[in-house]
Amino acid sequence: MKKVATPEYDIKDKLKYHVSALSTAAKEVVMPLNITTHYPRERRKWPDCFRGYILFDPERCISCFECSFVCPANAIWMKEAPSGRYYPTLDYGKCIFCHFCVDSCPGGALRSTKIHDVAYKNMDEMFTHTEEMIEPPEIIREDEGYVEYEIDKEDLTLKRTKGKDKLIVDVAPSQGVPMVSLCIDRGSCIACKVCEKVCESGAVSSLLDEAKMIIKMKIDSEKCTGCGLCVKECSMQILRLVRRE
Amino acid sequence: MIDINAVISMMMNNQVDIPLLQPLLKPMLEMPLVGYLIALVLWKPFFVLILMPGFATLGIMLLILPWIERKMVGRMQWRVGPREISPHTRGIIQLLADSLRFLFQEVIIHKDAHRSYFLQFPFLYFIPVLLPLLFINAGTAGNPLVPIVSDYGLQLMVALICLMPVFILGVGWASNNRFAFIGTVREAFLYFAYEIPFIIVVLAMIVLYGTSNTVGVVNAQSGVWWGIIQNPLAALTFFIAMVMATARLPFEIPEADQEVSFGPFVEYSGIAFGLAYVMGYEKMYVLSALMTMLFLGGGSGPVIPGLGELSYAIWFVLKTLIVLVVMANLRGVYPRYRLDQALKIGWGAMLILALVAVAWSLVMGVIL
Repeated sequence: MKKVATPEYDIKDKLKYHVSALSTAAKEVVMPLNITTHYPRERRKWPDCFRGYILFDPERCISCFECSFVCPANAIWMKEAPSGRYYPTLDYGKCIFCHFCVDSCPGGALRSTKIHDVAYKNMDEMFTHTEEMIEPPEIIREDEGYVEYEIDKEDLTLKRTKGKDKLIVDVAPSQGVPMVSLCIDRGSCIACKVCEKVCESGAVSSLLDEAKMIIKMKIDSEKCTGCGLCVKECSMQILRLVRRE
Repeated sequence: MIDINAVISMMMNNQVDIPLLQPLLKPMLEMPLVGYLIALVLWKPFFVLILMPGFATLGIMLLILPWIERKMVGRMQWRVGPREISPHTRGIIQLLADSLRFLFQEVIIHKDAHRSYFLQFPFLYFIPVLLPLLFINAGTAGNPLVPIVSDYGLQLMVALICLMPVFILGVGWASNNRFAFIGTVREAFLYFAYEIPFIIVVLAMIVLYGTSNTVGVVNAQSGVWWGIIQNPLAALTFFIAMVMATARLPFEIPEADQEVSFGPFVEYSGIAFGLAYVMGYEKMYVLSALMTMLFLGGGSGPVIPGLGELSYAIWFVLKTLIVLVVMANLRGVYPRYRLDQALKIGWGAMLILALVAVAWSLVMGVIL
């Protein structure tokens, strides 16, 4: 077994370290390098890409389920709205704030804010319904300024600025790439009608051909939102998402 | 039958001289009852013992010193310290708020504790704290401000200060708790480690000054020839012994929060804890006052015009405060020693330093 011995210092070194410790302490008493934020009265200015409370815009949602598929914590559940479409609900008890949902949202319906100090009374309240995700939560702002950390040559310094920091970032949500669903091999279709059932915008329709006694599926590219649900569900895997011309 | 007039005239002959207040006090002294009171307050022994640097100053220090400590150590560690209560004064009344909170908290005495001793000792601790102040000399050379002049003043002070750990041992014993026992045993170990160098250092100063009368001690430090200049080794040893005696970091071994959770005082709550909490600060104050008298020239300093003899007391309290602040700030600098390391320092380096200090005093005081 190897033993680590205590370092040996002679009395000169010891005195030097004592003096250095005491003088550093004295310096800090006179000119402290204070980096504490007085939180309710001032907030730290977070970068605009901060991953905080998630807001939802139903106008942009195409009900593609992408957020709920990608969520690693299984925090997002899609819930059926009265209109028949599915919208996300978010359980903040599970959310790990990775914001994969925000990144994966093709229409930019989800967006992040800098709100990070939300309090709940119980666990049930942490399950946020779609309606509660549209508006930001009620915040009592006591802050009169915000704080930024700046790195000097070796030390952190604090820069205080008067005024309120904007918690909801004015970054335009991504427009996404317009996509459309397309059947690449019509001959292989078995007419199981899964795509028709799954489509929420009514773009897929089935047509019975009396003469040949077969069912033909048709995708209306005008109505298609490019959510890709039919592509995922197609049992013959003959549907593809392609860029809209 | 005590002759009241004789008592008053005795007090009047030994008054603290404050020229600024003289025109105000003169008509008041003529009044029957108020005059007696003022004569009593300004009677030198009473003034020193009760007002400055005695009981009242001790009380103010107990309210201010923990705040200074928290604030300064906070600055050292890049924190803010107490701030929420009265933020405009930087939280100076934090200790008042704390004591209010202690007052309204329930005092729990658990079943196995020795009920009477458990409650008595934090109060009785004021006896060894206040009795040494009977011999304190807050004046300067030629102008003593001392309650009782005794040829054995220093010895009595040291004897009374050495009584203090007995009360802490009593507190730990009465608590009947395993942490309290461990803390008490640690306190007992440290007690012997620092007490012997402490006594030897005071002995060195007695040898140097040639007297143990507190008036003579201050008289021997006239001008800039303070004790710390005459015998710096003794001052250093005294300071280390002081830090050890009051269980401050780096020697915060009996009360180590992380190990024995405030040691002997672990069972206390409410106002009893408040009193137990300030026990350390009381001891710090008395020892700092002793250090000021022994090494920092008592109340010597430039005379503040108009204040007369009061200015000596003010200088004395200021010097005591500086010693206290230096001691309190060690908390932000040093980590805690292990018990065996502290004992090694006490029985080794400090004892040697103390003996060298005695030799230094012999050379300085007797031979030269």
